Amino acid sequence: MATSAYPPPPPFYRLYKDYEQDPSSAPEPPPPIDGKYEVFGVTREINEVLPSLESQGIRQLYPKGPNIDFKKELRTLNRELQLHILELADILVERPSQYARRVEDISVIFQNLHHLLNSLRPHQARATLIHMLESQIQRRKQAIEDIKQRREEAQKLLGESLLVLDGSQTN
Amino acid sequence: MDIITQLQEQLSDMAMVAVNTFGPLQRDAPPDRLSSSYPDPLNPNPKPEEDAKPQAPAQPGAAPAPAPAPPPALPPQPPALDLAEHPKAMSHALVLAAKRFDALVAALPLSSEEDQLKRIQELQAENEVVGLELQKQLEAAELELKQVEALFNEATDNCINLKKPD
Repeated sequence: MATSAYPPPPPFYRLYKDYEQDPSSAPEPPPPIDGKYEVFGVTREINEVLPSLESQGIRQLYPKGPNIDFKKELRTLNRELQLHILELADILVERPSQYARRVEDISVIFQNLHHLLNSLRPHQARATLIHMLESQIQRRKQAIEDIKQRREEAQKLLGESLLVLDGSQTN
Repeated sequence: MDIITQLQEQLSDMAMVAVNTFGPLQRDAPPDRLSSSYPDPLNPNPKPEEDAKPQAPAQPGAAPAPAPAPPPALPPQPPALDLAEHPKAMSHALVLAAKRFDALVAALPLSSEEDQLKRIQELQAENEVVGLELQKQLEAAELELKQVEALFNEATDNCINLKKPD
């Protein structure tokens, strides 16, 4: 009588009827997606790339080029930010009607700062990968040591028990 | 929290401090005297010998407003934010936030992309080697386990067979 709130399972479960007897009778899982894909109505890429500031229409305050010295640029932009806040305070005292330009400058500085920080994320991802690989190597080496130790202990015990058996046999 | 997220949080903290500096100053600023022909809003009943000083709304060291009798327009309790202390505290917070940002930037462990990629390849190769070694040890250990189990079964069988029935 009540309409079911639980939707039925996807219909292709029937294809796996004989999986126990013959695993190859069921279809293979779909291959990984390449390129664009759609999720909840939004199209996304496999390789998500941070859009540059110009493509968003924001002025870029730090120099372009392949190698950016992130620390220097971040510190320079921080100084600029403090300076602009002071200028805003001054403008509000002297000529309060001209605040808009200064506020816009401050927001451009903030956007540049955030863009710089976001472009550090791929570097962080690689560093995380390095850390994961190092810890995995560490754990594997530890496991090897453990196994070696246990095998040696087992051999020793076997040897001792053989001695005991031989000893009791000759008695 | 990773350092980049901390840096981003610092940025938003600085923005918050900046907003909180100007906001209350503009909101709680006392009214300004426009011209000497209008009465001073802070001092509506001045004595004749008092000189009225005009006050800028955003100045931290605001000139004192002496009033012999408390004007009826003042709120019964003093404002929670003292106009002299607020900008000092806020500018102190802003400078602290900026210093923390600089310290975090200095602590960034940066290295070039090629270095990272090279290190990743080295680690992958080492991981392969260690993985093979682990596999070998594991197989040898499993073999020994099987042998020991077989021996144990034999020994127990012999024990059962040799035990004299009572």
